[in-house]
Amino acid sequence: MHHLRRSSAVMALALLLLSACQSGGSTSPSASAGGSGGGGSKGTIKIGVDLPLSGGEATNGEPTTNGAKLALKDAGGVAGGYTVELDVRDDAVAGVHNPDQGATNAQALVADEAVVGMIGPFNSNVARAQIPITAPAGLLQCSPANTAVDITKKAADGTLLRGDNPVSYVRVATTDDVQGPAMADYMYTKLGAHTIFIVDDTETYGKGLADEFQKKFEALGGTVTDRQGVPNPDGSADYTSILTSAKGANPAAVFYGGVTTTGGAKLRSQMADVGMGDLPFGGGDGIVDGPGSVDGSFVNLAGDAAANSFGSVAAIHDIPNPDAFANSYQAEYTKAPGAYSAPGYACAQVIIAAINAVADQATGMSDLREKVRAYVAEGGNSFDTVLGSLSFDENGDTSQHTISYYKADLNADGGANWVFDSQKDFGQGG
Amino acid sequence: MDPSVLIQQFFNALALGGIYALVALGYTMVYGIIELINFAHGDVFMVGAFVAMWVLTVPLGQHGGIKDPFLLIGVLLLVFVVTMIVMGVVGVLIERFAYRRLRNAPRLAPLLTAIGVSFILQNIIQTIFGPSPKTFPKLISSSGRFDLFGASISYLTVFIFVLAIVLLVVLQAFIGRTRLGRAMRSTAQDRDAAQLMGVDINRTIALTFFIGSALAGAGGVVAGLYFGQVQFNLGFSAGLKAFTAAVLGGIGNIPGAALGGFIIGFVEVYAGQFGLARWGEALVFAVLIIVLVFRPSGLLGQALGERA
Repeated sequence: MHHLRRSSAVMALALLLLSACQSGGSTSPSASAGGSGGGGSKGTIKIGVDLPLSGGEATNGEPTTNGAKLALKDAGGVAGGYTVELDVRDDAVAGVHNPDQGATNAQALVADEAVVGMIGPFNSNVARAQIPITAPAGLLQCSPANTAVDITKKAADGTLLRGDNPVSYVRVATTDDVQGPAMADYMYTKLGAHTIFIVDDTETYGKGLADEFQKKFEALGGTVTDRQGVPNPDGSADYTSILTSAKGANPAAVFYGGVTTTGGAKLRSQMADVGMGDLPFGGGDGIVDGPGSVDGSFVNLAGDAAANSFGSVAAIHDIPNPDAFANSYQAEYTKAPGAYSAPGYACAQVIIAAINAVADQATGMSDLREKVRAYVAEGGNSFDTVLGSLSFDENGDTSQHTISYYKADLNADGGANWVFDSQKDFGQGG
Repeated sequence: MDPSVLIQQFFNALALGGIYALVALGYTMVYGIIELINFAHGDVFMVGAFVAMWVLTVPLGQHGGIKDPFLLIGVLLLVFVVTMIVMGVVGVLIERFAYRRLRNAPRLAPLLTAIGVSFILQNIIQTIFGPSPKTFPKLISSSGRFDLFGASISYLTVFIFVLAIVLLVVLQAFIGRTRLGRAMRSTAQDRDAAQLMGVDINRTIALTFFIGSALAGAGGVVAGLYFGQVQFNLGFSAGLKAFTAAVLGGIGNIPGAALGGFIIGFVEVYAGQFGLARWGEALVFAVLIIVLVFRPSGLLGQALGERA
């Protein structure tokens, strides 16, 4: 009997370990060459990709990855005489972007000397975990979507993520000090909402966006009736009580700083539960995440309550040649591009252009990696991308400051979806 | 402050507390009878929510609110009965295969097994339904509401509270008044003596798991109706709060678990009302610590003599 008991306990432990491995091990490094190539006489190099690719966030990561793949294919799969492959890694664990997984992926990419540049990440808190790893290694990172301000500039407490290392991180998305105020401008001026209730998810991106939004909204003369931070990492938070509390002050609209997986859609649908369903609801690019037909997207989860919701995307919607891009994307993947497909494409273009420019001077793999970084982050070079011509400033932030606005439309072609409304260029310094 | 807001929040707290109470009942029953902290219980609740979502959307084809009151009652009855039976059976299976062999093992073994079962349930649901949140049909439309002293109360919150109380009363009567209930009480008091008196221990413990898991299943349905979405990792924090509720009320004590559930609901909701939403969970556990300092066996718990 005693022996039997012990073996059961051992089995239980083994089961526990097994299931723990399953839930944690979502990394699946899979290289995929971007086309026939053939011109790569010097050998093979890699561009790393780190994006959330599983679960609810696949709606963000997948179209972005596809954009990068398409760019490499259009370049013939070669750059600077090398055959180029993408090393695609998923930073979502259990369906949610995960900074620890992002750090693990960054370490793996840094350790592989064939990796000369990296596209990603999607989420600002993942970038916070990755930059301290890629900066000392001098691995160029190009993020298609990060918008938090203090990942490239000094934070309020004076810390700088890259430390004393030279800039290795650039982004083609503009920042929340542009996006937040842009949304404030939209809600105050265009929607005519002069009083607002603000909720954030207490994460790097969500809180930062809400802070910038609030500053501008108040500067415009608006009143913030109340502001609440609700941490919601596992989707279990209940917003009924804060909404009931906020309702007393009669705000004209609600703004949410955060992403869908940390509560955006639930907040929106619970607004209907407490009788605030008719108020306009605004958010950043964290809620503009794909059509209602995709499980876990904002429009899918909020259902009918998604009506009258507005969101911004920190990228140009009307890219210089939108039809050509949409058509070639459609031809490759048989679906329309996502909000960050073109930025993903642009990041790949930037890295490929850099490889083309410096490959002949490089003396080896680690030198190539360093020269690519220097060319993009320090050269002051301008890049001709699908988003138009752009360059990076001394912090690695893009020269483009255009915000696109989207509106949730329940009756859009092909089912409920985010529909492009307008875009606005906020020029230098927003 | 407008008193109608406080009344509104009172009902919000009753609904949230009702959900916690339903989960806490099963927690406390299982602990009462075999002194196992069943960490998989929160995940049984989560699986219940998914079973209900599947029953509603696939065979019944429901996706939104139902207007016809008779149809609504019929659908609700069906989904509650089916989910509670399915989860009851799941609970019995978990007990049979994961816990029974370990009944006389050192405490740590079944505790670890329970955590393992929790992971297994999460992974099964994640494999079948995927990791992203799923919409749950809000059968009882939130537009159905009535006015009370200026507050607008939705029927759903009243429904949740009434359901929790009814199930509590039925459970209490079952344990206090029936033969099977007596068997459960005697097993809880002294398993060996109960066995000598002719109580079928295995059947009684299985029954406890059936009832506890069925109640968690009911909690899952209610949570789905209330939140309108379900997610595979929903069970962790729900389980943690239900465990807290059970300890707060006095673990092993059935009305205590319900009381604990409602107290947690009230603490969280009023934290939100007074601008302390981000402190909600900290306040819940602060209350737990304070109560345990002054009443180590919980609010309604009695000091356990024989087997603690």
